[in-house]
Order: sequence, then structure tokens, then C-alpha cells
Amino acid sequence: MGVGVDLTDVRQWPKMLPGFIVCLLLAWLVLQYDKYVVGDLHRGYGEASKVLKPIKEGKEPLPYEDYKKQKEESYKKAMEKYQAGLEKKKPSKPFILKKEDYEFILQNKAIPGKFTFGERMNQFQLTYVAVLLLGGMLIRNTVGVPSVLQPGTVAARPFIKPGIIILGAYYMWSDVLKVGLIGFVLVVIFVLGTQIVISLWGKKAKADDGLMGLMGAGVGVCGVSAAVAVAPVVNAKPRDFFYAIGTILLFGTIALFTFPYIGKLLNLHQAVYGAWVGTAILNTAQLVAAATWYGHEALLTANVVNIVRIGFIPIVVLWCIYYYVVRPARQVGDVTQRLNTWQVIKEKFPIFILGFFIMVTLNELKFFSPEVRDLLGRDIVKIFMAIGFAGVGLNIAFDDLKKAGGSAFAIGFIAATVKAILALLFVMAIGPGPFTIKQ
Amino acid sequence: MQEEARTKELEAKAQKTFSAERREDYAVLLIAALVVILVLLGVIDNKVISSIYLIKY
Repeated sequence: MGVGVDLTDVRQWPKMLPGFIVCLLLAWLVLQYDKYVVGDLHRGYGEASKVLKPIKEGKEPLPYEDYKKQKEESYKKAMEKYQAGLEKKKPSKPFILKKEDYEFILQNKAIPGKFTFGERMNQFQLTYVAVLLLGGMLIRNTVGVPSVLQPGTVAARPFIKPGIIILGAYYMWSDVLKVGLIGFVLVVIFVLGTQIVISLWGKKAKADDGLMGLMGAGVGVCGVSAAVAVAPVVNAKPRDFFYAIGTILLFGTIALFTFPYIGKLLNLHQAVYGAWVGTAILNTAQLVAAATWYGHEALLTANVVNIVRIGFIPIVVLWCIYYYVVRPARQVGDVTQRLNTWQVIKEKFPIFILGFFIMVTLNELKFFSPEVRDLLGRDIVKIFMAIGFAGVGLNIAFDDLKKAGGSAFAIGFIAATVKAILALLFVMAIGPGPFTIKQ
Repeated sequence: MQEEARTKELEAKAQKTFSAERREDYAVLLIAALVVILVLLGVIDNKVISSIYLIKY
């Protein structure tokens, strides 16, 4: 995820600052759109439809003041019930139409155009995720991103990680273990399975060890991070490295923009969709984006499966060391090559996921009130994700995707596609129950 | 020979990138911890978040 710039190198900060500010601004602007159009106007459409229904049935509409009073009183009653402990869920504030909109509906017997616009944007899932990714990609591949801004746009991408950590405030350990256990099964079957199949297929096809090792790690486990981790182990050539990265990015980009729509088309439950993208998409940033695009519940499930998956990076590196170094050495009688398991785990384990576990533990210990939980798990996560997605969108360059090539491209792409299809059938057969995170 | 040198160069680059990722992990842990502390202290609350959104219905 952070390939390209070193966030912690203070000397690089001045170089990163301009691009990072652009990402912040872009994220802020798009969040304004998301809150107003996809949030408020979409809710306005629902409320306007409710107001319009009795009018179309020929009933006498309430005057505006009475309508407003009625809404406020029903909220007050619901709050009293909640405070008395009769209702478990805190009622959300009612959406009250403005006087001019209410009167427009009464006069024209129609829903104002702005609400219909909000509804359409919501129907087409054009939330902040889509706008930042599509918009960023469009900018990058048309007008381009000036070189002075590029380091900063790369530096914005890892801001998805604090989002992943803070999202931990939303989970109980029972949910993490429940979804994590089934996520573990998915990872073992599909993710490690892909890695092993690619290694064996590559041997059969007499493809280069370095390239196939990279492709297996990248396509199977965690995209670019795993490919970077495995590259020295399998003695990858620079050309192999770019082929593998190109294939991983191309598959991820196609998946990112198609999976949310495939999910809608198949009417997938949010939790099922989350489990699917958590297994099938190869890169954390793209996976988190595709899940957030679909909905908050999908993100909660995908996040756990992703954490299990990236926790597997050391295991993949161990497999590569065994398959490409230790095993061939033993075959020619060299017993000096050994696996230093602990060393590999220590070096390659993505430690940021420990932060997620700390957050889950704090939530389990009731450290967060429901308000703080919502503030952290929804509002603040959204801000971090928006900054990260601005960086991701501005870094989808068609030139990078064109680097995918060679015979290994076909093997990698076919394996990733087959994995995605099989994972989809598997999670659909299981259903939402085991993947659902209680909110 | 040239290929070998380039492979060594890539190896060094991969190692450097991975240690940069490790440092990045520490940085994101720190950022997340800071934000959580600020929320728990009440410095970042719902009012702060809603002040970010200028266009409201």
C-alpha cells in the first residue's frame, strides 16, 4: 500500500505536502457532495414521497406548521421510549422538509428535482467512494497529475489504514472471532489455494520461478505488499516485478469498478458481499474501497476478512522460501538452506492490524459510549477513507496497468478471476448469517 | 551480469520498501491513537465533525 514514498521520512515531507493538500481538498469537497446529495437529498426524496402519497390519494394535506409539529412530537415520543429503556435503538433525528419544498410538493404534486437527483445518485451508488475513485482516475488519465503533486498523492493512500484501525471500535470480539474464523477458512481455501495452484501451474508451464512466485503471492494474498515481500525470496527480475504488479493492479482496478455493480445485480446481502470482496480483491486499498462503495455493513465484514488475509503475508513468504529455495536445495543434497520461521513472521507481519485488535478490545471493555462509537466508526473512518481514496484514484494510471504482460499475465489473471467466481459461489451458498457483524 | 546487478538492486529496493512499510505501520498506529485520544478527551466531537460539512439541508 505504501510503495513509493516513505511517510516517516521527515526530509520527504516538503515534497509530499502539495499533493497531500490536494488530496485533502479533494476529499473535503467530495464529502460535501456526499453529505448533501447522497445523504440529505436522498433522505429528502424519501420524505417527499411520504408527503406526496396521501396527496395523490386525494387526502387533504397538513399545513406546513402542523406537519413540522407532528414530526417533532413523534421524535420526542420515540426518544422518551428510548430513555425509558423501552426501545433498544436510539431513534435518529427526523428529516423535516423545508417550508419551500413542502409547499412545492403541495402545489405541483411532484417531488422537487434536487431530491430526485439525490435519489438517482444513490441508486447508481455514486457515493464519495465512487466519485473520488472515478474522478481521480479521470484526472490522472486526462489532464494528468503534475509531478510536483505525485509524492503527496501516493502519501495519501496509507490514510486508509488508520480508518481500518479505528473501525475496530465497531466490533465485539465475538463478531471478530465468528467472521474471522470463516474468513480464515476462506483465506486458506481461496487465497493460499491460489498461491499454491499458481506455483504448481507455473512449474508445469515451465514459467520463470521468480515471476510465478511473485504472481502467486500478489494474486493470491495481498497484491503489491505481498509481491514486494516475496520478490527477494524468489530472486525476481525487475521485469517480472513490473509484470506482476501490472497484473495485480489491472485485476484490482477492474474488480473495484465492477464488483459493487455485480453485487447489486445479484442482490447480494451486504455481509455476503463484504466476505466476497474480502476474499477476491487482492489489495487492501481497492478492497476497502469496493466494500465501502457497497455499504457500511459490507465494510465491517470485508475488514475482518482482509485482516485475516493480510495476516497471512508471512505464511506466503514462508511458502515461497520453502518452495523456491529450501525444497530445490534439498533436492540437490544441500541441507544448509533452512526456514527461519520466527524471523520471517517478525519481519513481514503487518503490525498495524494490532491497532485494530486493541480497538476491538477497548470496545469490548465498554470504553466507548454509543455516541463515541458512532463518531469513531462512521464519521472519522469516513474522513480517513476519503483522504485515502483520493490518493488511490489519482494513482490509477493506465500506463501502469499496461505493464501487465507476458505469459504469466494469463496465468495470474485467469487464477484471480476463477478465485473470484468460486469465492462468490461459496459465500452465496453460506449466506449472510456467519458473516454478519452486529451493530 | 547486468541482469544480476539489476536483480540485486531490486532486492535492495524491496527490502527498503518493506522497512518503509513497517515504519508506515507505526505512523498510522500513532495517528489512529492520537485521534482516538482526542475523541475520548472530547476535543473531537460531533460538533467538530459537523462543522466540516458546510453545505447542509
